[in-house]
Amino acid sequence: MLSLAERRPTGRTAYWLIMLPAVAMLLLIYLVPLADVLLTSVTDPKPGFGNYAMLFTSSSVQRALLTTLRIAAITTAVALLLGYLVAYAMRAASSRTQRFMLFCVLLPFWISVLVRSFAWLTLLRGSGPVNNALMAMGLIDEPLALVRNETGVLIGMIHVMLPYAILTLYANMRGIDIGLVAAARSLGASRLQAFRMVFLPLTRPGLIGAGTLVFILSLGFYVTPALLGGGKVLMIAEYVAVQINDTLRWGLGTMLATTLMIAVLGALWALSRVVDVKRLFGA
Amino acid sequence: MSDYRDRLDDIEQFVERTEGKVYPRRIFLGMCAVLGLAPIGARLKPAMADQSELVLVNWGGDAIRGMKNAWVDPYLKKYPDRKVAIDGTGPSTSRIRLMVQSGKVTWDVMDRNLHTALELGPEGMLEKMDYSIIDKSKVRPEHAVEWGIGNYIYAMVLTYNTKKWGGEVPTSWKDVWDFKKFPGKRAFRREPDGVLEAALMADGVPFDKIYPIDMKRALDMHKKMKEHAIYYNVIADGQNAFRNGEAHLGQLLNTRAWPLKQDTKGLCDWTWNQGISWGACWMVPKGAAGGKAIWEFINSTLEPEGQAQLLKTNGYGPVNPEASKLLDAEWNAINPGDPANYAKMLPGGIAWYAKNATTARQELIDALSS
Repeated sequence: MLSLAERRPTGRTAYWLIMLPAVAMLLLIYLVPLADVLLTSVTDPKPGFGNYAMLFTSSSVQRALLTTLRIAAITTAVALLLGYLVAYAMRAASSRTQRFMLFCVLLPFWISVLVRSFAWLTLLRGSGPVNNALMAMGLIDEPLALVRNETGVLIGMIHVMLPYAILTLYANMRGIDIGLVAAARSLGASRLQAFRMVFLPLTRPGLIGAGTLVFILSLGFYVTPALLGGGKVLMIAEYVAVQINDTLRWGLGTMLATTLMIAVLGALWALSRVVDVKRLFGA
Repeated sequence: MSDYRDRLDDIEQFVERTEGKVYPRRIFLGMCAVLGLAPIGARLKPAMADQSELVLVNWGGDAIRGMKNAWVDPYLKKYPDRKVAIDGTGPSTSRIRLMVQSGKVTWDVMDRNLHTALELGPEGMLEKMDYSIIDKSKVRPEHAVEWGIGNYIYAMVLTYNTKKWGGEVPTSWKDVWDFKKFPGKRAFRREPDGVLEAALMADGVPFDKIYPIDMKRALDMHKKMKEHAIYYNVIADGQNAFRNGEAHLGQLLNTRAWPLKQDTKGLCDWTWNQGISWGACWMVPKGAAGGKAIWEFINSTLEPEGQAQLLKTNGYGPVNPEASKLLDAEWNAINPGDPANYAKMLPGGIAWYAKNATTARQELIDALSS
C-alpha cells in the first residue's frame, strides 16, 4: 500500500514542518547540553586531552571501566540465554498464550528500576524470604550473600534487561517461517539438528541485535549497581556521578560520559554493518 | 502495607519525632508547604535584601520548622522590626561559588559544616566571622574558626544490634573489626569522614594520632572489612539496613541512630564511645548584604535555650555546652554535645578534611570497589 506521502509528494514538506517543533526542542534540550559536555571534557581543568589520557594512566578509571564491561558482558550473556528460551517458547505457543506471555514480559516495564531494586533487596537480603526459605529447608547454614555485592547487581540488571532481550528475539523469531523446521524434520533431521542447523542460524540477527541492545543499555546502569552493589561495585555511570557531585572533577566526569557515548555509538554503528537495525527494532 | 509505608517514610525521612510522638505525615508536609512558600517569595526579590531582612539558607525539610522555632522566632522577638526568611534549597558548594562569583549575593547565613568553611574561606568565598559581636566563648574552641562558627553538633557513632550476640555488644571499633567475636554484617557510609577514623581506631591508633590520616593504613583496614560490610550512599539506606536486620553493627549518624532505636524498640542501639563528632556551622557568603544583623543573628543562635530546643525537635546536638544544663538525663543521653558524651568522642579533623576531602573520598571509593 502506498503511503499518503508517496501519493501526494507536496505533503512531504508538511510532515517535516510537523516534526519541526520536536526537532527544535531536541536540538535545544539535548544537543546543546551535549556539546557543553564535550567541551567541558577537553577544557576542564585545563585545555587539552589530559582527561582522556587518564583512560590509559589512571588505575581507578580503568578499574571502573573494566567492572562495567565485565558486568555488562555477563548480563548480556545471561539475558540472551534466558531470553532466547522465553522467546522460543512464545514463538511456539498458541496466539492466545502468546498474548498472555507478552503481557507478563511487559509488566515489569511499568515498575520503576528503583522500586525493583528495593524489592530485590527485601527478597534477597540475609534475613529475607529467599535466604530464610533456603535455611528452613536445610540447604544452607549461613545466609547466602545474594545482594550488596556483584551477584546482586547482576541479578538486578538481568531482571531489568530480560524484556529487552525477549522482545527483540521474539520480533526476530516471528519473521521465521516455522515450516522450515518441519521441512528439516521431514528430511530426517533430529529435533536438535533441526534447531541447530536451521532455526538457530536464522535467529542470528536477533541474537546480535538483542545482544548489542542489552550490552549498550547495561553500560549505563546507575541505580541498580548503586543500591544492590553495597557501595562496592562501581560502574561508570556512578563513577561519573561521583565526579560531578562529590569530587567536582567535571573534566573527568564529562570525559567518561563522552567516552561512554562514543562507545555506544560505535557499537550501534558496528551493529548496523551486520544487521538491518531498522527492521530489528520494528521501525 | 504498613511496613511499605514505614519504609517510604524511612527513605524520605519525613518522620518527625518529638518526645517519642510521631507527627502525622500529612500535617508535617502541610507545615513545610506553609513555611516553604515565604522563602521562595523572598528569593525572587534580591534587590530588596537589606539589613532588616536576612536570608537563612539550610537544607529544608525538618530543618526549616526547627530552626524557625528555636532560632528565628526568639531573634525576632528581640528585634521585632527585622525579618528572616528561611530558604531550604541547600547551600551547596557549587551554588555558593556561583553566587559569590556572579556578584549577586542574596543569602546571608548558610548552614554548612566547619570543614567546608575552612575549604571555602581561603578561596575568598566567605566573610570572616565578626568575633567582636559573636561571643565565641559560648562554644568549644574547635567549633569557632575564622570563616565559620558551629551551630550544632552531629556524630558518626558505633551502632549495633543488641540481641545478635547473646547479650554481648560491641563497644569499640576494634570489636567491629573482630569478625569472629561479632559475626554479622557491617554497615558504613561510603564517605571518608568518620569511616577512615574508625578504621584507624580499630587498628589501635589513639585519638591524638589520628590526624593527619594515614590513608594506606585506614584503607587496608577497610579492604579487610569490605567483604563483611555494606557501604551505603544514602544515610536513610544505612538506617534501613539496621532496621530490617540486614546490618548488625557499624557506623550511623547519631540523628538516625536515635529514631532507629525508637523504631526497633531498643533492638538497635548506639554508643558514644569512639564516635566521631562534627560541627555544623554558620557561614556567610562574601558580599552578603545583611551587615551587622548577620552577626547579631548568629550570636543569638548560640544561646543555650534555642540550642536545647533544637535537640528536642530535630536531634541536633547543642554546640553550646551550657545547653545540657537545661536538658534532663533522658535528653542528654541522646545529646552529642553533652560534656560526658562529647568527651568519649574524637572531634573530627576539620583542617585535614578541608585539604584532603576530595582525594580521600576518591581513594576510599577506589579501595572499596577494587
